[in-house]
Amino acid sequence: MRRILIIDDEDDIREVAALSLESVAGWSVSTARCAADGIRDAIAQRPDAILMDVMMPAMDGPTAYKEMQQIPEIAHIPVILLTAKVQGVDQRRFAGLGVAAVLFKPFDPLTLADEMSAALGWS
Amino acid sequence: MNPTPDPPDPQDPKDPKATRYPTNLDDTRRLLASLWERSLPVLNDRIAQLERTVLAARAGTLTPQLRKEAAAIAHKLAGSLGMFGYPEGTRFARRIEVHLDHAGPVDPLRLAEDLAAMRATISL
Repeated sequence: MRRILIIDDEDDIREVAALSLESVAGWSVSTARCAADGIRDAIAQRPDAILMDVMMPAMDGPTAYKEMQQIPEIAHIPVILLTAKVQGVDQRRFAGLGVAAVLFKPFDPLTLADEMSAALGWS
Repeated sequence: MNPTPDPPDPQDPKDPKATRYPTNLDDTRRLLASLWERSLPVLNDRIAQLERTVLAARAGTLTPQLRKEAAAIAHKLAGSLGMFGYPEGTRFARRIEVHLDHAGPVDPLRLAEDLAAMRATISL
């Protein structure tokens, strides 16, 4: 069973994404409501992938991703950024970070797992 | 010695041990509907904040800080309404976000119209 860590400060996004991945794909999901907690959980849990919001208070997703890359235990874990920013300049900036993929809000809860699987090359 | 049983396959709908989560899309939709109901108080708070932003824009008292906070609220709404099945709500929330984020003055009438349209799409 795939294990996913969701990091998002929005309660509704976190809950819907977790429900989606658990119920549609049968994946095991844990969640964190801020980047610092997410990094700590990633080190402790070593998930198969991380789905992380871009805009979060205190530490945003791109900054958290760069921090994860400095931690050998979790640097290999693929990270998918989730953003509601639709402007091309933002998309290019996020994609240029080296993350596994950038997905866009609002996502369809019934197809989120498929989108993640496709982005991660999971069959 | 008994062989170790195979672990449950979460993807196998015939395996009763497969998952503790609903595998039926109707169940998933029901749970999504309940999450939507739970999110309504937060949603109403956000709409109220945008309404205060419209009032401040009309009165000429919209500060850069309030404008920035309202843009962030609209951004959150744009990211969540479509997820609950309201893509038109997302479209109008995004229009509000872009309007508040751009460098020029805020048009109170346009802001009010987009907010009313967003509310109408979600029947609030």
